Amino acid sequence: MFAEQLVLEGLLSGAVYGLVGGGFTLVLGVGRIANFAHGAFVAAGLYWAVFAQDQFGVNPYLALGPGLAFFALIALGTAELFERRGRQVGEIGELLIGLALLLVINGLLEALYTDSPRTIRDFTLGGVPVFGFTVYGTQIAAAAFTFAVAAGIYLLIRASRWGRALRAVAEDPLAAGLHGIRVPATQRAAVALSIVLAAAAGIVISPFTTIYPQIGTTFLITAFAVVIVGGIGNTFGALLAGLGIGVINSLAGGYLASYWTTLAPLILILAFILVRRERGVTA
Amino acid sequence: MSAAQLGRRWPWIGLLCFFAAAWFALGAVSASELSLLVLAFYYGLAGSSFSFLYGTVGIFSLAQPVFLAVGGYTGVYLYTQYGISPWLSILISMALAALLALPMGFLALFRGGTIMTALVTLIVAEAVPPILAAIKPLGGSVGLYLNLQPGSNLAAMQFSGALPFARLFLLGNVAVIGFFMLFKRSRFGLWAAASRDSPAAAGACGVPVLRIRLAIFVGSSMIAALAGLVYAQYNLLVNADLFLGATTLFQVVVVALVGGAARPWGALVGAILVTELSYYLTQAASGRPGISPLTFAGVFLVIAILAPRGLSGTWERWATARIRRGPRRPAAAATVPGPPSAGAPDRAAQAEPTADVEREHRR
Repeated sequence: MFAEQLVLEGLLSGAVYGLVGGGFTLVLGVGRIANFAHGAFVAAGLYWAVFAQDQFGVNPYLALGPGLAFFALIALGTAELFERRGRQVGEIGELLIGLALLLVINGLLEALYTDSPRTIRDFTLGGVPVFGFTVYGTQIAAAAFTFAVAAGIYLLIRASRWGRALRAVAEDPLAAGLHGIRVPATQRAAVALSIVLAAAAGIVISPFTTIYPQIGTTFLITAFAVVIVGGIGNTFGALLAGLGIGVINSLAGGYLASYWTTLAPLILILAFILVRRERGVTA
Repeated sequence: MSAAQLGRRWPWIGLLCFFAAAWFALGAVSASELSLLVLAFYYGLAGSSFSFLYGTVGIFSLAQPVFLAVGGYTGVYLYTQYGISPWLSILISMALAALLALPMGFLALFRGGTIMTALVTLIVAEAVPPILAAIKPLGGSVGLYLNLQPGSNLAAMQFSGALPFARLFLLGNVAVIGFFMLFKRSRFGLWAAASRDSPAAAGACGVPVLRIRLAIFVGSSMIAALAGLVYAQYNLLVNADLFLGATTLFQVVVVALVGGAARPWGALVGAILVTELSYYLTQAASGRPGISPLTFAGVFLVIAILAPRGLSGTWERWATARIRRGPRRPAAAATVPGPPSAGAPDRAAQAEPTADVEREHRR
């Protein structure tokens, strides 16, 4: 029974990892940018929910719509910054911008909210008893949101004209450009979408997450693990990898010492790097 | 001495003058300013380990704090458990850092690419605190503390004030800057530059690219271990937070990049600027928490946007452009072709990863 509980818990948290990693795989695969601030945008989403509750008394789900609009604006500006630096300085310029944004967001959150952990107060969607323990409604809502977003992105990439452009740019930007695809605009869109997804993930998981300014770095590492295991640029692989990593983390935390939850993704990443599985689990 | 000889030697003369002036000036500053300078010199030395790695072979490693922790833990552990002097522990910690750097460097460089290396090293750095917390002989999450000796004890590297530590860090900075300047002009340095600029071409010419990168990764880890050991002695304690805390993890890289990571002086310039700025802004904000990391981040963002080569890199580029342009002359005379400027520095020595990427991008 204990193992089933751990697996279920792992699947629920893995769905969140999949959502965070899905955005990161887009930006790495299509935008070809290692946005170090990806996890920090998840943290910004979490604090958006805190801000909405503190200032307006609204729950995170009501804050989601305005949050998406706000982060879409931020994302467009950030994508433009990445694009401009990339054009002028190259890969290292983008890396510096990502790192600087990560530090600025962390610093701002710490200056505004201090480094004391926060939670969303007095908000629940009830719970469902499964395998002898309670799965909270907010966790189910987050998992449902993840699957809905993953399905939406999958359809968008597979069936739409814009999705074909994304795939073409991910495959070969030069050839895509020669076929008339506006490569910079497509890359900007991928970066912006990934940032909005990261912030959305933060807002959706806020009801059951302990929130602190540096949580973004943890999410960045999880996202990287998901991308390496799932394959760069592969959103379906990211979802599968997220679920797998969630289960492994949960089992490691349940049966081994607590620090194994941190070490498990690291060992997975190193193993995948060493065996050189370029396309991840879906290969 | 001819003007050309003097021109070649002026960086060394400048370094020696700086060392002498700073050595004596440190004796005259106030206690609070001295502790600030210890911090700046520590970041300068730690940042130099990153600069050495990034400036010579273009490896963007975020694992330098791990080697700082190796140095810190080795010195404190050996002294508290076996009474081994920290001076001797410097060598041991450097050897341990080198041993750890070999497999870590291999993993980080295995797949190649700046992004992959940066992410892998970041993950390694993030994995270390929980491991340290689980090792009981190293004090778990609390860490290890040094017993305070009365007065100064040279053998135990404990002093009654901050001045000896400031001078020790100053000496370390000057030594590393000098080594960096020598290295860039050595045969090994030129191989490293070739490996950085075009690994494929360097490999085709017989340069052992992976071995050079690994060797420099190991060398930079040893510099970091030295900085970590002295800093732990200064603080009389060592724990994961001191080197690998959420805010301290990136500061080593930030100071180097703000100052100009490809330049020998870059890390020290960046460390002094950012540390001083951070201190005075925190004072201005009445000690409000979060201002210090925000200052580091803000300065870094501005530099990343406006001057990705860092302060010293941008200044050097501006000065080089001025030398090449030469003195202002009438329009008619400017059209007459002349010999290249004697003051123009060697391009191979001035090259840096950012400029190479830029050239590649334009091509």
